[in-house]
Amino acid sequence: MKIFQRVALLMLFLSLSHILPAFADDKAERAAPQGYAENYAFDDPEQRQVFIRLTKELRCPMCQNQNIADSDAMIAHDMRRKVYQLMQEGKSESDVVDFMKQRYGDFVYYQPPVNTVTIWLWLIPLLFIIVMSILFVVRRKSADETNIDEKLAKADAMLKDD
Amino acid sequence: MSRLTWFLIPLILFLLLTVFLYNGLFSDPSARESSLIENEFPAFSLPDLADEAITHTNDIFDGQMTFVNVWGVWCVTCAIELPYLTELSQKGYRFVGLYYDQDLDPDFGSKTINRVRAEVIETTRRFGNPFAFNIFDVYRDTSLDLGVTGAPETFLVDPAGVIRLHHLGDINERVWTGKFLPVIEAIQREYPVLSQLSTEHQLTGLKQ
Repeated sequence: MKIFQRVALLMLFLSLSHILPAFADDKAERAAPQGYAENYAFDDPEQRQVFIRLTKELRCPMCQNQNIADSDAMIAHDMRRKVYQLMQEGKSESDVVDFMKQRYGDFVYYQPPVNTVTIWLWLIPLLFIIVMSILFVVRRKSADETNIDEKLAKADAMLKDD
Repeated sequence: MSRLTWFLIPLILFLLLTVFLYNGLFSDPSARESSLIENEFPAFSLPDLADEAITHTNDIFDGQMTFVNVWGVWCVTCAIELPYLTELSQKGYRFVGLYYDQDLDPDFGSKTINRVRAEVIETTRRFGNPFAFNIFDVYRDTSLDLGVTGAPETFLVDPAGVIRLHHLGDINERVWTGKFLPVIEAIQREYPVLSQLSTEHQLTGLKQ
């Protein structure tokens, strides 16, 4: 069935187009250290990477669609300073995220937690694909059958006319 | 499946989507559940804005219902709400300022503490002074602990030092009656001594 091959190809393409930019991002991150991170002194380059990653994953509560790395709002300055301070105290990456979540809620972290409310973000597209494929198959089958019946009837009628 | 079902399913889905999106039109994207409600006010020890010899700690909440108002002279909306807050403070409600100034921050510029004090006096003289005193959040650590995103924001703290309400934006009559009064009444029911106190304050407030 040609149509299934096409659908499969399309799905493959869609999934790749989601995965590839993630790789690209990762590389860009390593290649170009951010300017603001130069204002903070780290003993260990690894620590600087953690700092850059954290400031990119934490969301500015004031300017909604910016992370605290991009934002110049006062609160973003404060949060960057706090992230640095916490890291100097030896806190781990997840400790810092928890610290911010405690104060600003799940909102502050760009990775939403999976719970009973947010699970639908993943489930709805999946359910949609499943339901639509089932409907597609069912409809196609029944359409084929009726078509054949109709065609036969038409053919019969034509034969009779002749 | 009959023709009718095939007609109804997309229609119902469409209507559900319409309701969902229509609600989205009126949702406030900046509205967030504060994660601090029903938690103790974060521990702090900060100087008084007018006199650094005085240090304020969580003891300020003892036995009183307190409104902690985060503000600064640089904040336009704060100036707008000051007259209304002053009116409320004259009715006996206790307001405490949590003051911060970005110009004192090395990241933003430099301003002397004396200039800030002069500006605060000037602003409160013009718009009204609802504050029993002002706590000076020097490095904005307490603001960060409180999840403050900007000014003005107001926290309603009960006599046990627990945060009961966190309001982002200015307080006006609508916000006061719709959002604050129900919580105030709940606190007064829990601490019956308070309602007497507040009426006493109210009387003295009226005399002034």
